[in-house]
Amino acid sequence: MAESAVQTNPKLRSQFLDVTYVNNKTGHEVVALKNINLTIEEGEFICIVGPSGCGKTTFLNTVIGFIKPSNGSILLDNKKIEGPGRDRSMVFQSPSLLPWRNVLENVMYGVELQKRATPEIKKLAVDYIEMVGLKGFEKHYPHELSGGMQQRVNLARALTVDPSLLLLDEPFSALDAQTREFMQQELLRIWSETKKTSIFITHQIDEAVYLADRVFVFGARPGHLVDDIKIEIDRPRDLKIKRDPHFLKYVDHIWGLIENESSKQGFDS
Amino acid sequence: MKKEDAISIGKINHKPRKISKNQRNFIISTVSVITFLVIWELVSYYKVINPLFISSPLSIVEAAATLFVDPAYWNHIGVSAYEFTFGFLLALMIGIPIGIFAGWNQIFNAVINPFVSALYVTPKVALLPIIIIAFGIGITSKIVVVFLMAFFPIVMSAQKAMSTLDQNLIKAARSFTATEFQIFRTIALPSTVPFLLNGIRLGLGQGLIAIVVGEMYASTAGIGYHLTHAGQNLKTAEMFVGVAVIAISGVLLTGIIGLIEKRFSSWKPE
Ligand SMILES: Nc1ncnc2c1ncn2[C@@H]1O[C@H](COP(=O)(O)OP(=O)(O)OP(=O)(O)O)[C@@H](O)[C@H]1O
Ligand SMILES: [Mg+2]
Repeated sequence: MAESAVQTNPKLRSQFLDVTYVNNKTGHEVVALKNINLTIEEGEFICIVGPSGCGKTTFLNTVIGFIKPSNGSILLDNKKIEGPGRDRSMVFQSPSLLPWRNVLENVMYGVELQKRATPEIKKLAVDYIEMVGLKGFEKHYPHELSGGMQQRVNLARALTVDPSLLLLDEPFSALDAQTREFMQQELLRIWSETKKTSIFITHQIDEAVYLADRVFVFGARPGHLVDDIKIEIDRPRDLKIKRDPHFLKYVDHIWGLIENESSKQGFDS
Repeated sequence: MKKEDAISIGKINHKPRKISKNQRNFIISTVSVITFLVIWELVSYYKVINPLFISSPLSIVEAAATLFVDPAYWNHIGVSAYEFTFGFLLALMIGIPIGIFAGWNQIFNAVINPFVSALYVTPKVALLPIIIIAFGIGITSKIVVVFLMAFFPIVMSAQKAMSTLDQNLIKAARSFTATEFQIFRTIALPSTVPFLLNGIRLGLGQGLIAIVVGEMYASTAGIGYHLTHAGQNLKTAEMFVGVAVIAISGVLLTGIIGLIEKRFSSWKPE
């Protein structure tokens, strides 16, 4: 493991990463992440699973540059992450569309802030809107969309800035089963076309196994990396694969790990 | 255009019903007002209450007809309108930037907040005696009173709007490397519009009160001045004409704000 880290030139590397939240009123400390060591290669699709509160969002927030590690560091393209950058974009867990902008204006928001809004990019934005299945809704306002449609706008917005690292925090959690599977396929299609390194958080284990090259299993108290599982299933992956025994073995294995972690965690929070 | 889009996603039949609902409410309101006027007229006609106190709709219309052909009355209206416009615009031009900046910058907020909070609850008309001494009984003192009364609701609303910004939006903007100024322009400013318009509406009401009270207290012209004299000389109908002029101005100005609101919040759910 240490050897391969020296040989390869990873896209992202987390070294001895600790993140501690300090409540500025009480001074109370919560260790959200403890000693996270991992590497992600260029073009890899990574899924993170783990019980609620184990620090998945915290990890992404550290990668996007919102949170400073209390110890250790994260290197992106061998450069230490010090704050948000144009090379990353994030699809947030909570809705974050501007209510007074229509779908197209929202999708353009990221590039607009980066002063890169050209007519070509606008065409790209329209393409992504179509790709996430919202063609014809360009002029609609967020309140006219369902929660799942809003999440898809978020995805289109994150893709339009054309990041080299895409961070997705439970982007499909508000979708119904059919749309979810459709979006999983679409995301894989977009990913195979663009080969953007992606980190995807989900609570659905079969979603993780279906999408990922590797699945990171996080445990809680404090948040730590429990396992790093390589998913050796050929691509392109058909949805039918989800009923394959080979696929289900991965799912079972990860289930076991998370169950074990959850039982350690208990319900005392 | 937008409305039609909205209908196409499945709100068919929604619009026609809404119109008839509006029409129904309008008819109810009209009937309610007419009933009120008729009762007023009858109460006055049969002297249930002394007409000297309550006048009557017909005599008010009569008084209005004579007053509105009198250039002197138009002069009173002009003076009041001038005082109000000047004072109110001043309150907008100074109040909005100060409120927005206070909501954005904590240090500036700490500097001005004690004064704004204290003066917001102070009845500004209590300062009238001193304002009259300082600015005279002419137009200037009324402008100052209108300004003072309208200023604080406007500042407070702008301030409040800025402090209730959606942190999720700010997080998203920051993830796209937004600068503070970009966040201000694309999130903070648009978020303030509905709050601001509310504050402006409050300020408007306060400004109208200021005009009347200011002119009542000490003045040489204006609707409030005319109204006071009419009252003192028991010309109740003329007094009511003044009240009506102010009320109608208030309704019209609030209507204009409503239109502005519509223009700025066309994205909002109905
Ligand atoms: N801003 C914060 N201040 C203090 N503690 C926080 C903060 N954000 C998260 N935490 C704590 O850090 C831990 C990890 O939270 P995080 O949101 O990263 O979990 P998560 O794995 O994303 O959970 P979920 O699956 O429910 O989204 C939790 O114990 C949480 O209470
Ligand atoms: Mg989370």
